[in-house]
Amino acid sequence: MMKLQTKLALFSLLAKLVFSALFIGFLPLIIERINTLQTDNELIKKRETVIKLISEVGIEPFITDDTVNGFGSYNILKDEFISLERVDLAEDWNFIEVTQRLIEGEAIDYRVLNYSFKVDGQTYLLEIGQSLSSMRYAAKNTRRVILIFLAIFILVTLLSDLLYTARLLRPLKIIIKRLEDTSSPSLPDSMQIRTTTSDFVRLDQTLREMMRKIEELFRSEKEITVNISHELMTPVSVLRSKLENMLLTKDLDHDIESGIEESLRTLHRLKTLINSLLLISRIESRQYLKEDSVRIKELISEVIEELSPVAADGGVKISLNCNDDFIFRNANRSLIFSMFYNVVNNAIKNTPPKGKIEISGRWRDAIFELSVIDTGKGMSQHQLDNLFSRFRTKPDPGGDSTGIGLAITKSIADFHDIAIRVLSEPGKGTEFFFFFP
Amino acid sequence: MNVLIVEDEKSLAKEIAAYLSKENFLCDMAFTGKEASEKIAVNLYDFVLLDLGLPDYNGLDLIKESRINNIDVSFIIITARGAVEDRVTGLDLGADDYLSKPFALAELLSRITAVARRKFKISSPDITVGEFVIAAHARKIMHNGLEVELTKKEFDLLHYLAINHDKVLERYQLYEHIWGNALDDQYDSNFIDVHIKNIRRKLNAFGPTPWLETVRGVGYRISTDH
Repeated sequence: MMKLQTKLALFSLLAKLVFSALFIGFLPLIIERINTLQTDNELIKKRETVIKLISEVGIEPFITDDTVNGFGSYNILKDEFISLERVDLAEDWNFIEVTQRLIEGEAIDYRVLNYSFKVDGQTYLLEIGQSLSSMRYAAKNTRRVILIFLAIFILVTLLSDLLYTARLLRPLKIIIKRLEDTSSPSLPDSMQIRTTTSDFVRLDQTLREMMRKIEELFRSEKEITVNISHELMTPVSVLRSKLENMLLTKDLDHDIESGIEESLRTLHRLKTLINSLLLISRIESRQYLKEDSVRIKELISEVIEELSPVAADGGVKISLNCNDDFIFRNANRSLIFSMFYNVVNNAIKNTPPKGKIEISGRWRDAIFELSVIDTGKGMSQHQLDNLFSRFRTKPDPGGDSTGIGLAITKSIADFHDIAIRVLSEPGKGTEFFFFFP
Repeated sequence: MNVLIVEDEKSLAKEIAAYLSKENFLCDMAFTGKEASEKIAVNLYDFVLLDLGLPDYNGLDLIKESRINNIDVSFIIITARGAVEDRVTGLDLGADDYLSKPFALAELLSRITAVARRKFKISSPDITVGEFVIAAHARKIMHNGLEVELTKKEFDLLHYLAINHDKVLERYQLYEHIWGNALDDQYDSNFIDVHIKNIRRKLNAFGPTPWLETVRGVGYRISTDH
């Protein structure tokens, strides 16, 4: 995974490097070509100058009848020379070639311009040479300058690319940050993103619209839970009070009495069920505040204290092993209590006498981890898969459980971003792990 | 004591009234918020049992009104809406207690008694069961002047049974009373059995407890016939 900005910068760098590599590969060829052209131009210019000079002052200052070898001149470093001699040629010469010349016993490669012309019927050959080594030296210089320029160019453009993309992508960054900061489905009334990029404006608008819709959904869900609660609980309440009043009737027939009692128990089950479903629904529509700082160790101790009479009765030993304390911030204490209560209570119910339940908390890799491990009857893979689904865990026949306790546990954990992992083996026991964010 | 039952569900209001009348309360009923508002302004009540879900009135406004008009009456909110905020706002506004529907009539009575005790400083009478005396005010159970050590939950359980003596209280009713404020009802009948077992064990060290009866496996009763 890579950031968009990094990707863009890397791509642009890569493109520049490929282009530069190609350029550098062809550079000697190009420079040589340019250099030769330039040298030839210079040679031609010098020829013009010499011819002009001769046409002004005549050939005599350079060559007289008694001159044997003709005129020749070269500079100290021997990187250029000019010679003029009388020749007999069948045709006119005007070309540039590379030849070797011997000057003062030293063989030097020259690029030489040969030019023949006639003065008073006599053909003269003018040769102007430029040494190849001086040409190569110039080429080297040129190459160095070009390479330095290229390096500076790449650096500067890379930097400007980075700055520009950073600026360009700033709105995206702001949008992401805003989304990350939003815990509940409502955007804070922050201003619209300021950008000239139409894509970002659209992204911002779409997200806003989506958030508004989700917020709306949550609100209506909240209303629904309140209404369901009212609509269902009022009749249940009427029934309950009526039945309870009936029970108070003096000299009630025994059968009728137990009939009423049974109805009341059924009604209670119905109430428990509705309450559990409403609880999950309220958690899922985030109607609970998360404003408490919870000392997990203290809370677990409370859960154990609450459940210890039942555990003792069932011959189950609960031990708490938690040296590290952890303060869980932005939590709802009652919900967290309920979550652990459910899990520990579940462990007690599923552990036969002389069994053990070990609760331990520890820090691992900057994450606080709490485990509830029992030596109970364990679960099969199928049971594990359906552990957190509502109603899938079949309640014990005649038991009071509605099979929804662990579904509640899961929704409370999700609400607090707590991850749960469950390991279990039939006959060996079950291990619950809670990983706090 | 005078009680006004504000509840738009007439049949429920009547059941509550029937029950409380048997417990020697003078009951009045109002089925709309407007009616309730008028009755509270004119009559003197000790308690108002207030349903928040009135069709014409926000129940909480009734509390505000009476506070503004300096009417000294105790409100016990009864609601089926179950919204968390309602509870908080209600208690903030000065309601004395809060009950969620559906509640047990016995629970309602116990809440009213508790508020009355706090508000009017009425010390509830000691209840004698067998060789034991339950001193409700001091929250102690004594045997020949010696205190029997019970946990808070055990005492609450025993006390609740004692207030409702000679009536069978089902396990779920006892559970609701003790853990009623928990977020949800993780009802487990075993809990009550375990606590009763522990209470019996502790009391039996001092004296016999035939008065604490297990009734047909459905619940428990404190019988004063013994």
